[in-house]
Amino acid sequence: MTDLKRFSANSVPAALRQPAWNDMLTQVGLASRVSMPALRDNKDHVALCASAHSSVFVHMNAAPQSFTPLPANPGGTRHSVLVVALLSGSAHLLASDQPLALGPGDVMLLDPAQHWQLVMQTDFRAMLVRLESSSFLLRLVRNGQLVANRISATRGMGALCLRLFESVAEQLQHLDSAELPALEATLSELLVASLSQPQSSSSDDTTDVQLAHLRRVCRSIDARLEDPELNIEQIAEQEGLSARYVQKLFKNSGTTFSEYLKGRRIQHCCLDLANPALAQFSIAQLCYRWGFNDAANFSRTFSQYVGMSPKAYRAAPPSDLQAQLQRGRPQVAPAVRSSVNTAQEQREDDLQKHRRSFVEVLDEHARYAQSLRLAPKRHPLPANETRDPGASQYYLPASDKTVHWGYFSRDIKPALSVRSGDIVTIETLSQHATDDCERMVSGDPGAESVFHWTREKKNVDRRGAGPADASIFGRGCGEGFGVHICTGPVYVRDAEPGDVLEVRILDILPRPSCHPDHEGRHFGSNAATWWGFQYDDLLTEPRKREVVTVYEVHQHTQPPHAKAVYSFRWTPQTDPFGVVHPTIDYPGVPVDHSTINKQFGVLAKAQIPVRPHFGVMAVAPRESGMVDSIPPSYFGGNMDNWRAGKGARLFLPVSVAGALFSVGDPHASQGDSELCGTAIECSLTGVFQLVLHKQRDLDGQFLGNLSHPFLETDDEWVLQGMSFADYQSELGPGAQTQVYKSSSLEAAMRDAFRKTRNYLMTEHALSEDEAISLISVAVDFGITQVVDGNLGVHAIIRKETFPDYDRTAPKPDQKL
Amino acid sequence: MSDHICTPGCTHGITEENRKDVLEEFDTARRSFLRNTLVGGGAVGLGALGIGMTPMAHAASGVAGSDPDAPGPRHYYIPATPDTVLWGYFSKVAKPVLEIESGDYVTMETLTHHANDDAERMVKGDPGAEAVFFWDANRKGVDRRGAGPMDAPIGAGGGAGVHICTGPVRIKGAQPGDILEVRIADVVPRPSGNPSFKGKSFGSNAAANWGFQYGDLLSEPKKREVVTIYEVDATGERNWAQAVYNFRWTPQTDPFGVVHPTIDYPGIPVNHSTVTHNENILRDIRIPIRPHFGTIGVAPAEVDMVSSIPPNHTGGNIDNWRIGKGAKIYFPVAVEGANFSVGDPHASQGDSEMCGTAIECSLTGTFQFILHKKADLPGTALAELNYPLLETQDDWVLHGFSYANYLAELGPNAQNDIYSKSSVDLAMRDAFHKMRHFLMSTQNLGEDEAISLMSIAVDFGITQVVDGNWGVHAVLKKSMFPARKS
Repeated sequence: MTDLKRFSANSVPAALRQPAWNDMLTQVGLASRVSMPALRDNKDHVALCASAHSSVFVHMNAAPQSFTPLPANPGGTRHSVLVVALLSGSAHLLASDQPLALGPGDVMLLDPAQHWQLVMQTDFRAMLVRLESSSFLLRLVRNGQLVANRISATRGMGALCLRLFESVAEQLQHLDSAELPALEATLSELLVASLSQPQSSSSDDTTDVQLAHLRRVCRSIDARLEDPELNIEQIAEQEGLSARYVQKLFKNSGTTFSEYLKGRRIQHCCLDLANPALAQFSIAQLCYRWGFNDAANFSRTFSQYVGMSPKAYRAAPPSDLQAQLQRGRPQVAPAVRSSVNTAQEQREDDLQKHRRSFVEVLDEHARYAQSLRLAPKRHPLPANETRDPGASQYYLPASDKTVHWGYFSRDIKPALSVRSGDIVTIETLSQHATDDCERMVSGDPGAESVFHWTREKKNVDRRGAGPADASIFGRGCGEGFGVHICTGPVYVRDAEPGDVLEVRILDILPRPSCHPDHEGRHFGSNAATWWGFQYDDLLTEPRKREVVTVYEVHQHTQPPHAKAVYSFRWTPQTDPFGVVHPTIDYPGVPVDHSTINKQFGVLAKAQIPVRPHFGVMAVAPRESGMVDSIPPSYFGGNMDNWRAGKGARLFLPVSVAGALFSVGDPHASQGDSELCGTAIECSLTGVFQLVLHKQRDLDGQFLGNLSHPFLETDDEWVLQGMSFADYQSELGPGAQTQVYKSSSLEAAMRDAFRKTRNYLMTEHALSEDEAISLISVAVDFGITQVVDGNLGVHAIIRKETFPDYDRTAPKPDQKL
Repeated sequence: MSDHICTPGCTHGITEENRKDVLEEFDTARRSFLRNTLVGGGAVGLGALGIGMTPMAHAASGVAGSDPDAPGPRHYYIPATPDTVLWGYFSKVAKPVLEIESGDYVTMETLTHHANDDAERMVKGDPGAEAVFFWDANRKGVDRRGAGPMDAPIGAGGGAGVHICTGPVRIKGAQPGDILEVRIADVVPRPSGNPSFKGKSFGSNAAANWGFQYGDLLSEPKKREVVTIYEVDATGERNWAQAVYNFRWTPQTDPFGVVHPTIDYPGIPVNHSTVTHNENILRDIRIPIRPHFGTIGVAPAEVDMVSSIPPNHTGGNIDNWRIGKGAKIYFPVAVEGANFSVGDPHASQGDSEMCGTAIECSLTGTFQFILHKKADLPGTALAELNYPLLETQDDWVLHGFSYANYLAELGPNAQNDIYSKSSVDLAMRDAFHKMRHFLMSTQNLGEDEAISLMSIAVDFGITQVVDGNWGVHAVLKKSMFPARKS
């Protein structure tokens, strides 16, 4: 249980945002002034935790604004110090003397009793700490010049301070009020020590040269791990570098020399302890082997790192496999590697820059004649659909040229460009089709082109947002940090940030099998995977297993339903490049059916109602770079809500020019919670109408301030809550790792509640009290999914509750 | 009359024309019951019903249930009176108000504990409600409210448990290990007894201090409680409710002189001269009604008196709106005689019961009780059942809680600790365990089959986040197993 409070401005109706935001800031003794345009950006997020000693820790991610100290400091003592650690963005401080510029990495100590103004000039991320009862520190702050109270974090104690703040920002949700006092004490001491350090503001750029140096340094360290006397000076000397410079290299990698060294040693010890061949050696002997010279100290350090004593570890070493089983980017990925990877990723992006044009896509089209032939001969539009006479129709087949696998990015070149109102038929492929290639891939040119993978050639190499060279886990390009095959993106002309894209799902058709033995039938795969809710909680042996069940979808019987065909336990699969996948850790690995044991007759009596829908529907995120396709977020993505089926309309806030709509993760059916990790994953073709709503036309409406996906079906409005409404902004740079660890259903329920309240207050002009009563008596909250990192809870409002509602009617004034 | 088969959803031949006679009959029964509140009393003659409220097997006996010596199921009536309710707790030691045989029907009046939020509409002129809610400077109609100490400063029982539960009803022959099936044959709203509101029923929704929104409000005052009064059509013609007015809770002084700054004790009469009514709220909004009983269950074995707030494996305050007319709910019997109670009537509620309460509205339910003996359970859907299982027309609904049996799991301080230890995440885990168990034991599926099926075809929803022991339910469609009989 943590005592964390989280708050996002965009969960609050616009008119109430400023007071709500200020209310939150009061707790650190600050008042904020924000210009209105900034508020519209919906960027303000804060996570706040108060310690048992009333100090307050705040991790903030927000738009430009200025802060002033509140005259009275509610709940605080007269001896508090405010510490601002700017983690990104820039600011300046206005006080009696010269304005002082602050940049990323600066830590500033402020006396809340004095007059000053902190102007955040850009979007920023910061840790704010109001330290109580630190009178000694306060004296130092009052005595120093303003400029002297800035701690430069380029090296030394300042660097440690900054690192500590970064860690606190990351761990805030795991710290409770009783644990924070220890941190306060440490912080106070560090800050006192830092203030007495001479300042330095030199900073040089990270370059390839530095990366090369770092690689060399790491090699030297690895060669000398056994030397208990090894220190930074020796390494520096050996490499002809200064110790300070080496320290900085590590800092750039987000670690320190000694931390790195310790980590490497512990890793080696783990391997030795788990190695039965070394069983005759004592633990002490093994630890001496890797440069520890004190068994007690080793035992302590080991427990800290690994979470169990060396003895316990030796008795039952977790398989390496288990250690790797976290979706997304690992937090403890070797720091050095990740720096290197950043460079490689960059290069990879560059490579991807030479991309095909729309013309090529059209050329491709001819190759997919067969898919088209197999597509049901049905007019894609319901007969009674009133259609804009000017609307064009497009067909976007799934091929290696029209999909991006496992990630979203604003930088992907569009596969198609359309105008608002146009109708696009989009083929989507399930990433699980290779569980049974015969039924779901063979003979299907589109699927074959996407899944093609031989020793020589893998048509779609990148699968996931991870490094291209698979340097973290070695699973394959992209590392499977993101798994969904997304078709698109579709560029919508005139779409700009602030607009809303309405995606109308006019029809959904399953993709027929092209294999002669199964021609025209429909199949899907359900995998009970290691990321499923059941994985660590199985009753029968083997306790850790993954099971794939292949279903046939009987689309044309009444009622349409699915039946299981057979199931099999996942066995280690060797992909065509020779990498072994002991678990389902990489998408699209072709399953060799000679290695598995098929159980026919499973679920023989169960007839599963179908609910065809798309698990993933997204516009491109505003962040640069590649974003893992697994956690859903403000831009939509992997929401996995089965209500997004035929007839539904999904509204998404546009973040980049052209919106860049992508769709994938097709499901034949899913239950609320998607418990075992996947649905009936079944390739589908959707008919979509894309309608753009310009921001200027939405003024004063709920959609005008839309900052999250909003789903409408014939009978319901569905508000999608997530543990983190915008996990990237809320969690900062480690977001793609943290989101998998920090999510909870309770946070998702909280988010769903706030979004529903906001919707009712904004769109239906209810007061807060009315909205809350209505939610309790008439809105149903369900569990969307527990398997996508950012867990989902949705709220369903039945339209029959509002018999007179008309979305286009002018709104009465909002009641507050 | 001879071919009437009573099934869930059956109206037992009650029509608009004979409804008045039926109610009169019940009134007579109630009066006689009030004179004679003893175990087994109150069997009702149902002559006015014409065809009787009994299964076909009994129809031959003519006037159903009128003759206590006649064989077959009987129909009883329990009005809500100070002597027929337990306020705020379940108890294995409470004296049963009625003892019945398996197969018997009981019509039970239930009162909402929020009726005093607007006594004018929900208490006045209603003898049963007036007697239960009676409270002057000297005496309370029902003194103990909650399982807490009788000398608690805020009132007897400490409000540790708030629901007015009618019962307990003792089922002859029920033993721990048996399953009690309760069929909800009918649910009707209780009409206002005040002639000014003839033909209407009312309910109250309190956004209370235990709600999920409390402390997370946008507008001032940040910590407030708001009561919204809803009107429900007592004639059953309209299937929706509408708001009448709302007010913010102000400190209320009860007739004993204790001040209640928040809603900390049930049944406090609200003095309407101290609150401000806001009319014209939730205009043009129709709340679809879902009449159901929030609190329904049998007595737990662990302690003599258990707060009615946290639901548990024996049922209690489950707060699932699916527990309405036509549903069957199965409880594991924990004590001899089962001691069934029902209360916390709701006109409607959303999944999560977000703000702390539903439309709390007095209802009268007709229940049939079927006892399934332990020895007969193996091989049925009830085998190994150790939680409240709901069966509706289309679905099986399994109830997961943060703690499946919090009294056993949390130890001696369970009744306090439960309020700080719950989470949706834990309840989801419990719902998963129960659904897996259900599929494996009653549908003979392997674990892998059960898990795949759950992921693709079972819907998990949030029942409530306000009752201490939080709830997540799992819904399984019965139609999925067309070839099987439950």
